[in-house]
Amino acid sequence: MFCNIINPRDVLSLFERMSDEDCELLNIADRPEKFMITTIAVPPIAIRPSVMMEGSQSNENDITERLKRIIQVNASLQQELQDMKNMAAWDHLQAEVGLYINSDVRGVPYPFQVAKPLAGFIQRLKGKQGRFRGNLSGKRVEYTGRTVISPDPNLKITEVAIPIQMARILTYPERVNQYNIEKLRQCVRNGPYKYPGARMIRYPDGEMRLLMGSFRKRLADELGFGVIVDRHLEDGDVVLFNRQPSLHRMSIMCHRARVMPWRTLRFNESVCNPYNADFDGDEMNMHVPQTEEARAEALMLMGVQNNLCTPKNGEILVASTQDFLTSSFLITRKDIFYDRAAFSLICSYMGDGMDLIDLPTPAIIKPIELWTGKQIFSVLLRPNARMRVFVNLTLKEKNYSKPKNASERELETMCPNDGFVYFRNSELISGQLGKATLGNGNKDGLYSILLRDYNAHAAASCMNRLAKLSARWIGNHGFSIGIDDVQPDNDLNERKRETILNGYNSCDEKIELYNKGKLDLQPGCDAAQTLEAVITGILNQIRNETGQVCMKKLHWRNSPLIMSQCGSKGSPINISQMIACVGQQSVGGRRAPNGFIDRSLPHFPRQSKTPAAKGFVANSFYSGLTATEFFFHTMGGREGLVDTAVKTADTGYMSRRLIKALEDLSIHYDNTVRNASGCIVQFLYGDDGMDPALMEGKNGFPLNFDRLFMKVKATCPSREHKYLSPVEISALIEQKLPESESTPDGGLSDASKAFKKSVKAFLLEEHEKGSEIIMKFGEDATVENQETVIRVAQKIGGITEGQLRAFIDTCMSRYHLKRIEAGSAIGAIGAQSIGEPGTQMTLKTFHFAGVASMNVTLGVPRIKEIINGAKKILTPIITAELDRDDNVNIARMVKARIDKTVLGQIAKSIKTVMTSRLGSIVITLDMNRIEDSQLCIDANTVRESIMQTPKIKPKQLQINVLDVTKLEVVPLVDRGKLHFELHSLKNMLPNVIVKGIKTVERAVVNKGKEKYKDKEGKVKEREKYSLVVEGTGLQEVMGTEGVDGRKTKSNHIIEIQQTLGIEAARWCIIEEIQFIMSNHGMSIDIRHMMLLADLMTFRGEVLGITRFGIQKMDKSVLMLASFEKTSDHLFHASASGKADKIEGVSECIIMGVPMQLGTGILKVIQRDEKPELTYASDPIISAY
Amino acid sequence: MIILEDVFKVERLDPDGKKFDKVTRIEARSERFDMFMHLDVNTEIYPMKEGQKFTMALASTLNPDGTPDTGYYTPGNRKSLADKYEYVMHGKLYKISEDDPGRASKGSGKGVKAEIYVSFGGLLMMLKGDPSNLHQFDLDQRLFLCIRKL
Repeated sequence: MFCNIINPRDVLSLFERMSDEDCELLNIADRPEKFMITTIAVPPIAIRPSVMMEGSQSNENDITERLKRIIQVNASLQQELQDMKNMAAWDHLQAEVGLYINSDVRGVPYPFQVAKPLAGFIQRLKGKQGRFRGNLSGKRVEYTGRTVISPDPNLKITEVAIPIQMARILTYPERVNQYNIEKLRQCVRNGPYKYPGARMIRYPDGEMRLLMGSFRKRLADELGFGVIVDRHLEDGDVVLFNRQPSLHRMSIMCHRARVMPWRTLRFNESVCNPYNADFDGDEMNMHVPQTEEARAEALMLMGVQNNLCTPKNGEILVASTQDFLTSSFLITRKDIFYDRAAFSLICSYMGDGMDLIDLPTPAIIKPIELWTGKQIFSVLLRPNARMRVFVNLTLKEKNYSKPKNASERELETMCPNDGFVYFRNSELISGQLGKATLGNGNKDGLYSILLRDYNAHAAASCMNRLAKLSARWIGNHGFSIGIDDVQPDNDLNERKRETILNGYNSCDEKIELYNKGKLDLQPGCDAAQTLEAVITGILNQIRNETGQVCMKKLHWRNSPLIMSQCGSKGSPINISQMIACVGQQSVGGRRAPNGFIDRSLPHFPRQSKTPAAKGFVANSFYSGLTATEFFFHTMGGREGLVDTAVKTADTGYMSRRLIKALEDLSIHYDNTVRNASGCIVQFLYGDDGMDPALMEGKNGFPLNFDRLFMKVKATCPSREHKYLSPVEISALIEQKLPESESTPDGGLSDASKAFKKSVKAFLLEEHEKGSEIIMKFGEDATVENQETVIRVAQKIGGITEGQLRAFIDTCMSRYHLKRIEAGSAIGAIGAQSIGEPGTQMTLKTFHFAGVASMNVTLGVPRIKEIINGAKKILTPIITAELDRDDNVNIARMVKARIDKTVLGQIAKSIKTVMTSRLGSIVITLDMNRIEDSQLCIDANTVRESIMQTPKIKPKQLQINVLDVTKLEVVPLVDRGKLHFELHSLKNMLPNVIVKGIKTVERAVVNKGKEKYKDKEGKVKEREKYSLVVEGTGLQEVMGTEGVDGRKTKSNHIIEIQQTLGIEAARWCIIEEIQFIMSNHGMSIDIRHMMLLADLMTFRGEVLGITRFGIQKMDKSVLMLASFEKTSDHLFHASASGKADKIEGVSECIIMGVPMQLGTGILKVIQRDEKPELTYASDPIISAY
Repeated sequence: MIILEDVFKVERLDPDGKKFDKVTRIEARSERFDMFMHLDVNTEIYPMKEGQKFTMALASTLNPDGTPDTGYYTPGNRKSLADKYEYVMHGKLYKISEDDPGRASKGSGKGVKAEIYVSFGGLLMMLKGDPSNLHQFDLDQRLFLCIRKL
């Protein structure tokens, strides 16, 4: 063949002759000859600086080196052109220019690969350190600091202590006015090195003076209004405080500065949680905003006070931790009593003795005055009568003793362990406070309630007071842990030995049974799996039992016990590991694997399956581990370490992708969620337009009615007010919550109507409960005491008009306050809310899908799958509901229809029959078997199945049905090949699928339970069967007879989209993410998931959050370039002449302009042309 | 002003087992109104034994003339109701409720009973009795509990 390589020059001339119409057809923005480089751009020295070394040597920039080479090659090319030689330099020059632009361009013809190639232009742009990500999307800034952090409970939660050394370097430009002139004069006099000083003066005419010299005194005296002094940081200055990794917006918050001696940055421990900081050597960063606008915005939007709860789910995040919980727990013990001196001292701890405190009446007046610890908390919440804070809450702490059976009634406050916390009008009625009340991660704790019912300041000041109180109290009380805390006594040792011995014995029994092959198999498992499951169960039982015993035996003053009870640190498992038994070590979710031949370690006999040989650690950390136990323990430990290391990289990349995809979504003033180009992603955020950060109820419901009702009842005392009669109540509800009302909020009316309905339903239910009680009392009363009895009954179940009105009013007004604000960057918040929990997911990657040995992927891998919109997922599972779900046999029948059945399973025999004339294969079906598994198969259907298997080449076969159970397959080939053909047929025929769905791996009948109401309205349980199908093929499964297609689900999003459409896929994404999160014990507001699902589906197909999917979400070039494949996007954009409107977040950051969300959504409109001003009298008047 | 006064007999100490060093929960039943009571008592300073009889009064104020309590604690050498008693606690009534219907059906069958709950700074009292005896109690009422052994 003739092959002609076109000369670049020819190409250039071809391009030059191309007509403009053709260019348009090819979607080329400019003249195509510009694709050919005829001249190269040589950037100025500033772009490629040369670094001077010692002496006369200089280190040149890579670009300079490249240019040098190009010039060299060019020179030699010129030489060759004159000599008319072989022109090798031509190719050489071509390659050099290519390398100049992209140093790892492929197809460099000659071996010029050096160890470290010189960077080309593309290398400067791309990658994490490249221009786009390293210098444009994130920049180096001034006015920052970083050092080690340490705790200080005496600081407010909104403060951060800044070392004087740092405060001397960081400055804030303050403008001189009549109020601060004396202060700033002193600062100028002090100069840059003495603390309350200043570094620079800026005059209105633009002149700047550094305050280094001796002329400071003169400058200070001449200081005039309007001059700007860059003074040192002082108390109360606004600083931003941050700790990496910045996974969510609470990783950078705004504090007030407190300049203090020593060298660490300090803050209140209550704020550790949002930063995820501890004090084992962590360092944190701080930034000083330099303008008043920046300060105001930082305080309002990023202030600690305004970020007490997380927008992930509305739970409180800034809350008491560790020692604060421990001391609160100890103070509120039931048998803590203080005399007047001690009580007053403790009361003065919390406010530095500066608060006005009303000393409460002592709980015990006689024989001696004694106050209880709980009264300290009442003082803490409401020190004096002028504080208008009335907290009302009920809560169950960890040690609340639940009723043993359902018929017994809840003990509530009378719980013998004092585990029921009840605050009534800021008075602690009962309960020992622990993590549920004071800690983070809940919605009805003390601080949440202060925040919701009052304001952030109330919650913050309460945290401040508790921090001071507990730090000082526990300093006097003392709290430490020693070896005697983890010493088991003889009794415990005996009990532990007994439990372990029993466990070992039953393990041995099971192993014996296994060896004999008599072990009862668990459904869906083979013998080895069953044995593993049984033994694991027994061993876990051992640890639990020993743990429980030692928890029960410990004295209440035992420090680890106290810590685990109040939730400040450690769990019962940790304690029992220290005292009793470390327990089974697992590697990869199994017992220790065999590292040697048939055994885990050479210390054990081969094939040994005893607990000790497979990693059970019977010793405690106190008693010490044996050599083999220690080895197994390190195996488990290493797995954990490796897993965390791997996971951080994975989740980090996932978060980055999520952010890039969602960053420009924001709420607009019409309540829609739109992306930067104004394309609508959701018509109403989260279907109700509520702010997830402000949700009080469970599952993202706006309010917790029960709590609010209780609060209203407690804060609006009935006193002399009349209780309402049932008729009056109904009338009032109807009046306050009318059925139809034209709502002014337009688009929200649907959602608010639904909310109104729920308020009404709640009130009616409460009303019914109340009237039932009154009825009961009324029936019981005799004639003479009827009145008094009814009065008591009304106190229990009645409601006054004031209470009812207050309740409805608060509900409605609060509901409207909880609407999300226009401008919220809800996309970024959603991305963070999904990305951040990913980092906390443990290595639990599998979960039983109801049926043994049928697992679904969980954790980070599964989230990745969903977000990527993967076409092929690890564990596709279809759950199919049945038309008749109460019968096992029917369920089995349907299962058989779905399950893949091959010919080999139902054939009695597949025989080769050779006669002298022809050979054939005769298949005999096993009809008993077929009937047993209720398949509808006979010879005819088998024939059809064989005909439909292309692998067998059915066209070359003749298949004869001999009778119902028998058929004959005759290959139609020449006699020479016949033997081979028969042989291969015989091998292939048993694998022919005769029944079921090809893509299905297997199907299992799942027995579940369902609650239903019978005719009398009683709740009953019944057995319910469904099918769990491993594999794909949703359409076929839904079409199978006996399956209720309307209720059949799959976890394969792409498949759902293909069979059921895009809306089903959207809902599937939401449900699947929710499923993963709930399995890891994390709650995330459903609105975030909805937004993500909407973003993935709003184009009409499922777009993964990958570079391919994000490309299709009409993003701008700069955003795509700053994400991945920088150079490709830039080249493509220049070829097709794209314009970038700079409206997305990334683009705005790159260009350094304010973005179109948050406070940037607003602009001031100004008239373009000047209005014509006529400096004359009005024409109407002047006409006359 | 005394709202309720009756003689109780301690039936049991710590019905759910001993949980606290200084505080004991006593189970007592009254003689006159047949009321049932759970009460947390600081037994370190005021020991109580099983079978002991004591008279208990609940008053809304300690002033002998019945002037209402101000809510502020102003101790002094004034005459007070407490003089006649050995053990006096101050607390707040936080809950009025009906007796559990499940237990009432299998219990005495005397009909519905009312319960009042009072917290003396965390030391709790649950008093169960006939509603007609408890009608003078109100939610959020400040109460003084006075005990004298017989």
